[in-house]
Formats: sequence, C-alpha cells, structure tokens
Amino acid sequence: MTTLSRRRLLGGIGVAAGAAGLGLPAFAAASKVNVGALRLVSHAPSFIALERGYFEEAGLDVEFSFFQAAQPMAVAIASGDVGYGATAITGGLISLAQKGVAKVIGGALREEKGIPGQVILASNAAYDAGLTEPAALGGHSFGVTTAGSSFHYMGSRVASAAGVDPAELQFRPLQKVGAVIGALKSGQVDAWSIVPNIAGSLVNSGAAKQIGLIADYIPDYQVTTLMCSATNAAEEREKTAAFIAAFARGAADFNAALVDRTADDADELAAIIHKYVYEDDTPEVAAKKIAAGAMRLSPGCALDLASVEDQLGWFTSEGLIRGEVSTEMLVDTSYVDAA
Amino acid sequence: MLERVTATAPVRAAQGTGPEQGREVPFRGGGFRPGQRRWVAPVLFVVLIALVEAGTRSGVISNLTLPRPSDVFATLVDLARSGLLWKHLAPSLGRLVVGASIGAGLGILVGVMIGLFTLVRAGLVPLVAALFPIPKIALLPLFVIWFGIDEASKYALIAFGTFTPTVVATYGAVDGVDRTLIRMGQSFGLTWLSIVRKIVLPGALPGILSGLRVSLAIAIILLVAAEMLGAEYGIGAYILEAGALYDLERLFAGVTVLSVLGLVVSFLIGRVERLLLAWRA
Amino acid sequence: MDLSLLDIGHSYGQTRVLEGISLEIPAGQVLCIVGPSGCGKSTLLRMIGGLERPAQGRVMTRGAAPEGCLNPLTFVFQDFALLPWRTVAGNVSLALEDHRLARARREAVIADVLSRTRLSDFADALPRQLSGGMRQRVAIARALAVNPAVMLLDEPLSALDAQTRELLMEDLVGLWSRAPFTAVYVTHNLAEAVRLGHRIAVLSRRPGRIREIVEIDTPLAERRTGEAGLERVQAHLWELMREEARAADAELIDA
Ligand SMILES: Nc1ncnc2c1ncn2[C@@H]1O[C@H](COP(=O)(O)OP(=O)(O)O)[C@@H](O)[C@H]1O
Ligand SMILES: [Mg+2]
Repeated sequence: MTTLSRRRLLGGIGVAAGAAGLGLPAFAAASKVNVGALRLVSHAPSFIALERGYFEEAGLDVEFSFFQAAQPMAVAIASGDVGYGATAITGGLISLAQKGVAKVIGGALREEKGIPGQVILASNAAYDAGLTEPAALGGHSFGVTTAGSSFHYMGSRVASAAGVDPAELQFRPLQKVGAVIGALKSGQVDAWSIVPNIAGSLVNSGAAKQIGLIADYIPDYQVTTLMCSATNAAEEREKTAAFIAAFARGAADFNAALVDRTADDADELAAIIHKYVYEDDTPEVAAKKIAAGAMRLSPGCALDLASVEDQLGWFTSEGLIRGEVSTEMLVDTSYVDAA
Repeated sequence: MLERVTATAPVRAAQGTGPEQGREVPFRGGGFRPGQRRWVAPVLFVVLIALVEAGTRSGVISNLTLPRPSDVFATLVDLARSGLLWKHLAPSLGRLVVGASIGAGLGILVGVMIGLFTLVRAGLVPLVAALFPIPKIALLPLFVIWFGIDEASKYALIAFGTFTPTVVATYGAVDGVDRTLIRMGQSFGLTWLSIVRKIVLPGALPGILSGLRVSLAIAIILLVAAEMLGAEYGIGAYILEAGALYDLERLFAGVTVLSVLGLVVSFLIGRVERLLLAWRA
Repeated sequence: MDLSLLDIGHSYGQTRVLEGISLEIPAGQVLCIVGPSGCGKSTLLRMIGGLERPAQGRVMTRGAAPEGCLNPLTFVFQDFALLPWRTVAGNVSLALEDHRLARARREAVIADVLSRTRLSDFADALPRQLSGGMRQRVAIARALAVNPAVMLLDEPLSALDAQTRELLMEDLVGLWSRAPFTAVYVTHNLAEAVRLGHRIAVLSRRPGRIREIVEIDTPLAERRTGEAGLERVQAHLWELMREEARAADAELIDA
C-alpha cells in the first residue's frame, strides 16, 4: 500500500461539478489503483476514464479487477484488495459498512423520469392471467437474485407504491440474473425488474411483457453508488477524490453522448465500452445494446441521500440487517454533493 | 545324545551395552493401527474454537475474516428459540430424505444390475463414469427447466448427486463379493434369486453402506446448491442469504447446522452398520 | 448312483489342463484324486459337479439318487464357503431353503446333521466365532443336510492344522461307517488319500492324465496313521508323484 506522507485534506471540496476541467495536482509518481468492475454498461465511466486517460491525468495508474457479481467485489473492496468500485446498495454492502470496513463515497446509476430506466416485467403467463400492472402484483412471485439484493428492494417498493402489501409477494431467490431470466421466460416466476437493455430484448422477443417503469414507482432511485474501503475514504483522501473526479468525467462523457445525446461521439464511446462489455458481439450489435441500456449516471457522482436513506430504512424494516445502521456509517458525505 | 535344556539353564544375560554383552533387539513394530482415543476429537475442537474466540476478541482476527464463535453460538440459540431453526430445517430434511432416498435407492438398484448383468455393465459403466464428474451445480439451470423451481428440482439435484457415487460403490461391492460363496450357492442348486438375495446382497452390504456414507455427505453438500433456486426456507437458503448479506454469524450458524447434520448422518449409518453388519468382527 | 467320466479334456486358453480322463466312480465308495498342485484336480471336480463345462468328454450319472436326496452332487470346499452373516444353523438352512420342506422337517434335518457333526451346541454361533475345524464341520453338516448322492470334497482339510486334520479324518471315517456315502475326495496330501480312499487316482502334472489307480482293501474304519500297509501304499504313491511334482514345481505358471 502506498502511504502518502503529504496528506492533503481535501475535505469538503466538492470535486463534483465541473470536475472535468479541474486539473488535480499530479503526484510525483502515478499511484497504482485497483478498480473493481463488472462487465456491465453501468460501469462504463471507469472504462471511459481509463481509455481517455482521465485516470492518468488524475495521477492514477488504474488496473481493473473484473468480478462476476457485485457481492464478491464489495467484499474485495472492503478488504482492500480492490481500491474502488460501483455497486448497488445491498444488504451485504450495508453489513460491511456496519463492520466499519466499507464506505459509500458517491453516486453512480440513478433512475430519472424520462430517461430509459429499469423496467418492471411480467411473464407471459402471468400477464395473460391479469398481471398487467404493478397494482396486480399481490399473490404473485417476484424473481430476485438474493434476499437483500436491489431486486428485492425494487419489488418490495414497487408493490408498496402500487398499493400492494409487499408481504403478499413471494420473492424467489435464484442467485443469478441468468436464472431469473430463465424462470421468467418459463413462467416460473411471475414478475421481475431489470435494466432496460435486458428488459428490451426480453420484451422484443416476446419472452415477457413490460408492466411498468421503476422510475414511476421509485422516483430518483439511487441504483448504484461508488464505494471504497473505510481506510481509503478516511486516509487516502487525495487519491479517493482523484478517482471520483476521473469517474465523474467518464460519466459526463457517457451522459452527453448516450443519454442526453448532446455530444456526437457516441460511436467512439460505444467502441470503448465494447472493449469490456458484450465482447462476443459484433461492434454493431454491441453499440445497439449499449445505447439501449444507457441510464443516467449521477452528474459529478452526486449522491441522492434521500434514496439512500429510504433504502437503509427498507433493509432495516425487513430485518435483513441486524442492529442499528445510520447513514453516517454507510456514507462518507465529504466527497460529493447531494443530488 | 539329546541334551536337556532346563528352564534354569544359564543364559548369558546382557549386562551393559558393549558388543561383548550383546545388544537388545530394538523394537520396530507398532503404528499403522489407529486405535481409539475418544477425547482427542472434542479436545481438538474446543482448542480450535477457543483460539478463534481469543483471536477475534483480541482483534488478531478481523471481524471481516471470521465471526466470534460465541456470537455464532448466540445466533444459533436465537435461531432455535425463535422457531426459525425448525422452519429452515424441516424443508431441508425433507429435501435430503426424499432426494437421497431416490438417488441412493436407484443407485443401489443400478449398481446391483451392473454387478450382475454383462450387458448392463457394458452399457452403464462408461455412462456412470461420464456422469460422475459433472458438477451437478452446473446443471442447475437445466434442472429448473426440467423440474421447475419448486421441490422437484431440489429432489432431482440431490438425487442425481447421490446416484452416481452410490452406483460406483454398489457395483464395486457386488464385484467384491466372494465368488466361492456364489459357486457354493450354485453347487447347492439355489435359484438365481436366492443367490442374489441371500449371498450377493448381504455380501455387498458393507461396501454399499460405506458408499452411502460418502453419498449422503454429498447430499448434504448439494443441499446448499439445491436451495440456491427459489427456496425461501431451508438451511442452504439460510446460508446463501447470510452470504449475500455478508452476515458471518448467520453464515457460520448455518454451516454449523450442516456439520451437525453430517455428524448425525454418520452416526446413524454407524448404527445401521452395527445392526446389520454385526457378523463382522 | 454311479458316476462315469468319459474321456474328459480341457484347456484354459493355450494351457492344456486335462487330457483323456476316464474314470468310474461306483456308489458307496470314496475315490481320492491326488496329483501335484496345478494339475487340474479342482477343475476336474468342478466338472463332475456341473460347475464347469469340459471342452471334451462328458460326465455321466447312472441310476437314481437315494431317497430324500435334495442335491445329488454336493460340494465341500477347501475354504469352507460359509456365509459369514449366517449362524451355523443358518448356513445349513441355506441349502434347504429352496426346497419345499415343512418348517418342522427342515429344523429336524438341521438338528440331525448338527448332532452328527457334533455341532449342536454351536447352532447359533457365527462362523467367525468358530475354529477352522469347526467351520469345516459346518460345511460338512451343510453337505450332509441335502442327503447327497455324491459328495465332492476339494481339499477339505488343507486349510487346517495337522491335529485338526487328524480329528476331522476320524470324523469323516465315522460318518462314512455309520452311513456309507459316495465321495470324490481331491487332495494333494497322500496321508489323507490312503486314510480315506477306497481307490486313489494319481494324476500326472499338467496336462493332468491318469497315471495309475491304486486300490486299498483295508476297510476305512480299520486304517490307522503310520500303519505299515498304508505306509507302503503311500510310499508307492509318492514314488509316482515325486518326478511329476518336481517337474511341475519348475514350470512357469502361465507357460
Ligand atoms: N478359471 C480358470 N481360468 C484359467 N486358468 C485356470 C482356471 N482355473 C484353473 N486354471 C489353471 O488350470 C490349472 C489347473 O488348476 P486347478 O484345477 O485349480 O489345479 P489343482 O486344483 O490341481 O491345483 C492351473 O494351472 C490353473 O492355473
Ligand atoms: Mg485345487
């Protein structure tokens, strides 16, 4: 581990807004950072920041560690094997925060009305039997990967928002997204919610029906957050701020080209992301999938604290986490603005 | 002349250790015969637990690495008190009993057939050898399509996992039955069925039972895999949920329950062995 | 019931094991077969008992089996072949269970043969609790239970120590004297052959041929170990076998 002797406290500096242009003081030697990533479009800011040299300009020598799922990545980050990463707020992440080893330092993926977001799906059989809107979810099964996953949260919150008691839903843990897809296709689970690109291909191929949008039921849902180990958050402030700034530049490029479509470098970004995501697809197919799955990334890595608090409250009320957990335990608010 | 050797005949007793006086023959036997020391296992167990407890209390072992044994114990007590233990254990036991019965039952049947019939052997031995190394967990998605996400796929997974080792153990045991006993049966004009029932099966029983030890341990291992899919309750589901929530106390509490389950199964098989194989020394 | 062997020959793969064996085995007599080890004695006995098919020649029976005979050709094996999971009575019972016998009748037969072999007190013992000699007596009791026409004994005493062997020989002689049975008794021990055989067939080394058949007139009950007449026959047999045994011993097993 590199210990920076000249520890400069950047506390309270909002690295967020125009971080793109903010020339951070370069370190004498670029410090090595291991960034955890999943091969998903939502991790694109990291890929863009590396490929466009934003990490390098921020004085970070970044290497990626790829994971199959968010949970092991969160553990690796907490243990310090991986420096930074983006994951959903899950029971596992909260538990690690409770143990004082992990911190949320910024926001990443966020639901926003009017922008493609996560979709609520029903299996064809359930749809034909009347599950045509979330208000009809009562008594139906809802696919989740694990208890305490973001799917679990979404299912429960959507039900509440649609006037259904979440206790009337049967949450079926199936461990993997692939397994949930299979179960939904074969009608073994009735409903699910998932990012737009997967939902799109399921609906377009006639394998499932769309019955709603998450953004309509859980407005401003902070889907994923940036996180690092508690040690990094407290003692490596310079490096952490540099990471957030570079990530935010990548996110800004992504939003401009693929979400707001105000920039014209969408093809270039798709090519960059394709290096890491949808590797087995042809560039054309990958570009389409990337564009279809483009959700808003919080500008400047701003964090929606209200959403985070709501999620914490839900986990606690569901008995998925033991004991008390406060927003302060989970979030280090000193790095970014509140959204 | 025959010389009389009496008990009091003088023997040049060895006094001292010089070459003159001779040397005592050094003992070279012993070992290779594990005996019984009932206290060793509990003591080792307690020492290990105490070490972990001390390590986690002093902070040498971080709370990210291992939970405190006392916390795990408290979790277990809570689990039992709240009745949740039984709520998780009952479906798991059901899955174990049904799945393992199907798998072991079919396995013994097929194993005996392989042991008795050339054609079955020629056809099934390579097939079983091909099925054995398949990680059953990898077939989970397939099992969901075949059997659904309800109980059937869990039974199927456990049954499949216990089937192959049982087959291999059983036909090995049938092959190992003393051929002279079978010739003896034939020489007394016993019917084929009598020979199978009275000679082959009892002769293969020790091998089948020790195979069952392995098969049932595998069944317990597969319980966690089986409960990956769509199980709300079950020890495996409980462990998986604890893992997803990074709740180490619950994780270890669940694992402890599985270990105890393993001990119980092993004890029961030991009982059955003592009952059915009393004829062995 | 008499037995005839007609020109029996047999090979295992390239190895010729038996060659031109013709023998008459009249009822009520004990025929001993001696020969160096590996000459095919056990093979021949299995053929007589129908456990193996000879490549050439035939084994014929003549006449009816005695009244109440359940298994005309009955083996006694060298290693006893007892089921270790069955008691002494259970092992005897095994030979009777496939025959339609009333339960009481079966128990009577078991009690009878156990008393004839002096095992009544051990009816409920397991084989592992018995000495070697007792185990072989169980096997003999089991053979007697089916009231065989011909007993086929394959080195029944070879697994036992000398004293036990001596005692069991006396037992066999006693059993035969009280109720004469027909027997083919295979052994490589010449002392056993001269004590128990009315006739002794000497086989050559592999491929086994009949070298000579020796008849002994002394009634079984009057024969004693070390008796001069028997010693002479034994010496003659040894003379016949010595060269064969020496040559057989020098051969490669699979040559
Ligand atoms: N089933 C078998 N297959 C092949 N060779 C055999 C078999 N049984 C016996 N032999 C061989 O036949 C020969 C005669 O065997 P065996 O009849 O057991 O001899 P003996 O009883 O006189 O010692 C031996 O060389 C033996 O190796
Ligand atoms: Mg032999």
